[in-house]
Amino acid sequence: MLYRNAIGAVSLGLALCAPIAGARALDESKYPDFAGQWKRPPGIGNQFDTSKGQGRAQQVPLTPEYQAVFEAGLADQALGGQGNDPTYTCIPDGMPRVMNVIFPMEIIVTPNTTYMLIEYLTQQRRIYTDGRTLPEDFEPSFTGYSIGKWIDADANRRYQTLEVETRLLKGPRTYDPSGAPLHPDNQSVVQERIYLDKANHDILHDDITTVDHALTRPWTVNKRYVRVPNPIWVESSCSEGNPHVRIDGQSYMMSADGHLMPAKKGQKAPDLRYFNEPKK
Amino acid sequence: MLDRGAMGALGLAAMLCLAASGARAFDDAQYPNLKGQWIGVRGTAGGGQPSFDPIKRWGTTQDAPLTGEYEALFKANLVDQREGGQGTNATSTCLAPGMPMVMNAHSPMEIIILPEVTYIRVDHIRDTHRRIFTDGRDWPAEIEPSFDGYSIGQWIDTKGDGRYDLLEVETRGFKGPRSYDASGLPLHRDNKSVFKERIYLDRANPNLFHDDVTVIDDGLTRPWTVHKTYRRNTNPRPIWVEYVCAEGQQLVHIGNEGYMLSADGYLMPTRKNQAPPDLKYFKQTQK
Repeated sequence: MLYRNAIGAVSLGLALCAPIAGARALDESKYPDFAGQWKRPPGIGNQFDTSKGQGRAQQVPLTPEYQAVFEAGLADQALGGQGNDPTYTCIPDGMPRVMNVIFPMEIIVTPNTTYMLIEYLTQQRRIYTDGRTLPEDFEPSFTGYSIGKWIDADANRRYQTLEVETRLLKGPRTYDPSGAPLHPDNQSVVQERIYLDKANHDILHDDITTVDHALTRPWTVNKRYVRVPNPIWVESSCSEGNPHVRIDGQSYMMSADGHLMPAKKGQKAPDLRYFNEPKK
Repeated sequence: MLDRGAMGALGLAAMLCLAASGARAFDDAQYPNLKGQWIGVRGTAGGGQPSFDPIKRWGTTQDAPLTGEYEALFKANLVDQREGGQGTNATSTCLAPGMPMVMNAHSPMEIIILPEVTYIRVDHIRDTHRRIFTDGRDWPAEIEPSFDGYSIGQWIDTKGDGRYDLLEVETRGFKGPRSYDASGLPLHRDNKSVFKERIYLDRANPNLFHDDVTVIDDGLTRPWTVHKTYRRNTNPRPIWVEYVCAEGQQLVHIGNEGYMLSADGYLMPTRKNQAPPDLKYFKQTQK
């Protein structure tokens, strides 16, 4: 009798528990705690492989053709131009450069989608974890189409790792401001493993492997981010006060007094053929 | 003894229950279902760009209760737009629309509800990560001004049935320039606007949600309330199209003047007899 009462009590308790969990309850504890604000670790700049310096020091495994494109871009930058870096006109970084996380990032985990909100250029990634496959026909985008899968490697009913594959990209895209280019065929495939550091849960890892026709082999880098307690989110609007102007494929600068000026020594003024000639 | 056994078993059940729901479990059934893709509903008088008051056409027909000074500013802006300029519509340079224009939902909107924050994402111009903090915080002593402002919300259970059905939001802490819509209907340049919103699902049709927006702004003679409605795309996997304002942008602003880029890439005037930009910083090679 005592035993039956105890069983009855457990059943009652579990029945009472059901409405708390709710039909649509999201058990957050099943997922790693990615909440909060994530920043680049101190001392890391806007480079893709954070274990190496910027520019040529990245040692991007580019094919000879794209190494030449990269070198030409660096030469243009040395003269004051923007080289291959398209973002000076507020074109978004896209994948995989967006994961350089120049301004802070927020990750929102929901059962069907994980969102990445990156303040720089206000970029957003949606990583679908609802079991879908890649659509046959989809408008390419700078951040691409990302499908993810949660992995419970420790088999403890808690996910530790989010594996992501991103395709359907558009360009132009580069890995960083030095302009190391991705192939303009935009057939890049970016694979990621995103997980918390086992020793320090305030460090997030993203192992990124890029497969791209401008590379001689898949290129893998390990990126790290540091969680910021009590974050303040500062809005970033690229167009606000952007001093760069692009006319007829050339980049110019805006002077402090609001006039167009050359970005490079000896740069010609833009062709004003569509304006009436006021003089003569 | 029997009671103690049952009590112990209940305690065990409670512990199992806690483990099952998890310390961080979030019961989203407690909140209205605002998932999916939302498209702004325009009134029958609508046309052209989405307007702030969606049941009225954009422009002067909005009947915004502007002060005399801001009415004059608005009219001067309309004259400039008629001549080919952009007037006081700052978004022509890809500036973020900010509040309240962002809620015109030029592109589809997504709402993500978590217990402590409700996010509103609109892809238009890619400058919108509206965060509505619902964690009980108070206004910070200092707010870094932004186009979207700083939003604090409170979930309300109006029916007392244990489920929230209304999100009340107040937004402050702005910068500008901002306008209500692309007609250039201006907000006051002091950026002291305050917005109060009531966001809720339609009782008869759960695929509609409403946002009653009240604007308090020094460019208005009185608070201005409009009633906005959004319709859910019933496709469970809606398509989100990336919208990048800067991509293919044809408008070029130099100083205080707006120009266009021609199809062949050259600078051209937007207005009849518009003077070309001053090229004083370039070495003169012609003549």
